[in-house]
Amino acid sequence: MDPILRRSSFFYVTALITYMGLMGRFMLTRDWPAFEVIPLFLPVWLISAMLASEHDERYAFLRTLPVTDRAVVRTKFTLILSFVSAAWLLMIAVALLRMGDEIATPSTLVYVTLVCASALLVGALYQVGIWRFGMSVMFPVIGVSVAGGLVLAIIHVANLKYQDDWPAFSRMGVVEWLGGAPWLSSAVLGALALWAYYGLMQAGLRVKAASEAHL
Amino acid sequence: MDTVLEATDLTKSYEDFSLRGVSLTVRRGSISGIFGPNAAGKTTLLKVLAAQAPVPPGVVRVFGQIYETSEGDLKNRVGYVPQEPTFYPDKTVAWHARFVAPYFARWDGAGFHNLLESFRVNPLKKVKQLSGGQKKLLSLAMALSHGAQLLILDEPTAGLDVVHRRSLLDLLRTLAADGESTVIVASHITDGLDEIAEDVTFLHDGRVVLQAASDDLMTRWKWIHYKDGSLDRAIEDRFATLRRQPFGNRGLTDDLPALREAVAPALASGDARIAHASLEDILLSFVKGA
Repeated sequence: MDPILRRSSFFYVTALITYMGLMGRFMLTRDWPAFEVIPLFLPVWLISAMLASEHDERYAFLRTLPVTDRAVVRTKFTLILSFVSAAWLLMIAVALLRMGDEIATPSTLVYVTLVCASALLVGALYQVGIWRFGMSVMFPVIGVSVAGGLVLAIIHVANLKYQDDWPAFSRMGVVEWLGGAPWLSSAVLGALALWAYYGLMQAGLRVKAASEAHL
Repeated sequence: MDTVLEATDLTKSYEDFSLRGVSLTVRRGSISGIFGPNAAGKTTLLKVLAAQAPVPPGVVRVFGQIYETSEGDLKNRVGYVPQEPTFYPDKTVAWHARFVAPYFARWDGAGFHNLLESFRVNPLKKVKQLSGGQKKLLSLAMALSHGAQLLILDEPTAGLDVVHRRSLLDLLRTLAADGESTVIVASHITDGLDEIAEDVTFLHDGRVVLQAASDDLMTRWKWIHYKDGSLDRAIEDRFATLRRQPFGNRGLTDDLPALREAVAPALASGDARIAHASLEDILLSFVKGA
């Protein structure tokens, strides 16, 4: 296995295990609003994994090796995509399992895909940001994002529990509409996300090659 | 002349510093020294030459190729030792060897461990436990263990003790002597490195102020030591550097033949004598005069 991939994958695999172990199990055992809330924590876990991986990364050292920027960018983007894809697969599998007792609905599949697609793009943006501005600039930005994401998710959970009229993202009109054909909608959303993701990867390649802030 | 590296009109700008119009040619099997005071642009130049900092394509050619299209191949042939080497601080020296080995086409693991042994760097130590000099030696061991044909070393002797510095200089001389390896070293001090550098580039304020073969400089540049009043003021004005001292003055010149006739009487009477100048003396005259 590529040494850069091996070193960085430790953080992403750990994040996936802890996410599915700590949060994902609630989707198996809890009722509403488990499928509304748990996916919202995915970006937090993803960005935390990236933060841990990038905080300890030594790009100046890597640049002295015969490793092209293209290879590094591809490795990092593969990790983000693999993490999100694995989480998406696991959440979709759990959702399918719980459709029998009506805890999950077809629109849940679309909602999970939407959240995963958003996480994918946010993760890619932060990764490009790290290459462009360096960890010293991005660390506080990402730290505030993670903390903010957690706080907003908790506020959302609390309001869903105590306020009957609090809007649920997974039951918004557009999500319900897309849930009319959940697999087609998920495929289209996934394809769009991957298209944008590929664009960000190309941008990341240019940014990493031109910037010295991350070294 | 078999050229290993060629940089043409290299310009690199940062917010507070610019490297301007630097051109450089490095011969195969030579040791080139890039000297200059702090903030002259030596590190920036070396970073660009080793593809650690981006410049427009084609400005730097190494072994006839450009990094933009042959980065993997060229980095297998170039060993770069930065001024402050970076490693994963919580990992051991041996871990780093295992990490880099798959990337280099000609990685010599046994050679790397032999070098570590001769440098007295414990492979089981974590990098954060190494001193600055040991990190430098680790970086050097890595650069020397993948069969690099061009070594680009930024302040290679900084932080090294006298014993290691001497053995490093001998090692570089031996490497270049076989004709297969080429060495570029940068330093703000010429002590030691001036002994091995065959071609010299002086940088000051981001510009090349002098480029010459070391032997030529040594032949051309001389100190004239003389008693106060033994030389005319007109001669003193022609010195690149003039130092008046209580025990006698001395002037540095790069044009001794032109002065020889005027200095001849003082030389004949023993009131003046000619002495060698060091690279540092020459460098200082350029820095002060710039």
